[in-house]
Amino acid sequence: MSLNAQEAESEIGDSIVVKQKYGLRLGVDLSKITRSLTEKDYMGFEINGDYRLSKNLYIAGEIGSEKKTSTTNYLNSTAEGTYLKVGIDYNMYTNWAGMDNLIYSGMRIGITNFNQTLNSYTIYDTNSLTWGGNQVVSNNNFSALSSGWIEIILGVKTEVLNNLFLGFNLQIKGRVFETNINNFENIYIPGFGRTYDSGKFGMGFGYSISYLVPMYRKAK
Amino acid sequence: MKKHHLFLLTVALIYFGCEKDDVCPATTQTTPRLVIEFYDITAPDQIKSVPGLFVIGLDPDLNEISIYNELVSTRSSIALPLQNNSIQTQFKLYKSYDVIDSVVIGNPDIITITYEIETVYVSRACGYINNYSVQTFSVETDNEQWLINSEILSTQVINENEIHVKVLH
Repeated sequence: MSLNAQEAESEIGDSIVVKQKYGLRLGVDLSKITRSLTEKDYMGFEINGDYRLSKNLYIAGEIGSEKKTSTTNYLNSTAEGTYLKVGIDYNMYTNWAGMDNLIYSGMRIGITNFNQTLNSYTIYDTNSLTWGGNQVVSNNNFSALSSGWIEIILGVKTEVLNNLFLGFNLQIKGRVFETNINNFENIYIPGFGRTYDSGKFGMGFGYSISYLVPMYRKAK
Repeated sequence: MKKHHLFLLTVALIYFGCEKDDVCPATTQTTPRLVIEFYDITAPDQIKSVPGLFVIGLDPDLNEISIYNELVSTRSSIALPLQNNSIQTQFKLYKSYDVIDSVVIGNPDIITITYEIETVYVSRACGYINNYSVQTFSVETDNEQWLINSEILSTQVINENEIHVKVLH
């Protein structure tokens, strides 16, 4: 760190001007990789990136794909698709000279194209003990579904090695639109996550590892 | 300010983490049964209860299937669960049912209900329920037939609050 700091400093007249790194940071979401390996009903991958516009402002985005099987006592369905999120991150953290860490809040607009398969269901019937036979294997596929949402992000990114960052973020999402399915609903929306009966809100989180490709240095 | 944000996020995480959506509440309207009400053949507007009413299901091979929660009692209406993997269900309706020395006594009449099934989405927690559209209700003729006449009052079986079939005896 201290070495970095010295590299970044140059003297102009009597004052020291600290130049900061500007560039493109690219990474992947570790939590999605981990979940893909540990949860048999989940497959997901996400590439994230940001590009620094000014001292505190970054243009940021994620692109990814998810496949998730959701199971309740009465329903088993799989959603699969790709998504794109674009927005900005604003760094609220004041770094010491030479440091490049972020505590940021951000905003995204997310869109996805996906399909959903209703694998099987059980007819909800409290009198089913008489006849049984309430399980239905349907494999009913609903394709060309789409959804869009707005997301508010709160996160941190820490430079753990030169230009290598580890990050964590939380996302709160509000769904703006979705394709409605006749006699079914969107149980899971790639990029958005699971849906809730109570409304159009959703939650997400991510652990990222990313590498900053420095392009130039600039004072502030 | 940041602490405030984090607090809100934590509350939201806890709230969403409970996943109460995934458990089907017991209050949910379940797949309805077919409701039959019994009327007096001599005064068709008068409800007339059936002494010792008891029902047994008949599967497609005519094996007797005991109905869940069904007990012998004198009553003027009965709710019958329809088969969800068939478009026809048969029942044996007993009047004055009793078992004496392991011998079933009483007067059985066999009824056949045919219907169409509509599967209706409820929620992720409860999945689907079935509604039925009754096509026919018939009583097998026998020498001691006590179910003399019947009338479908409501073909759409979507709940158990209304009478679907009126039977005269």
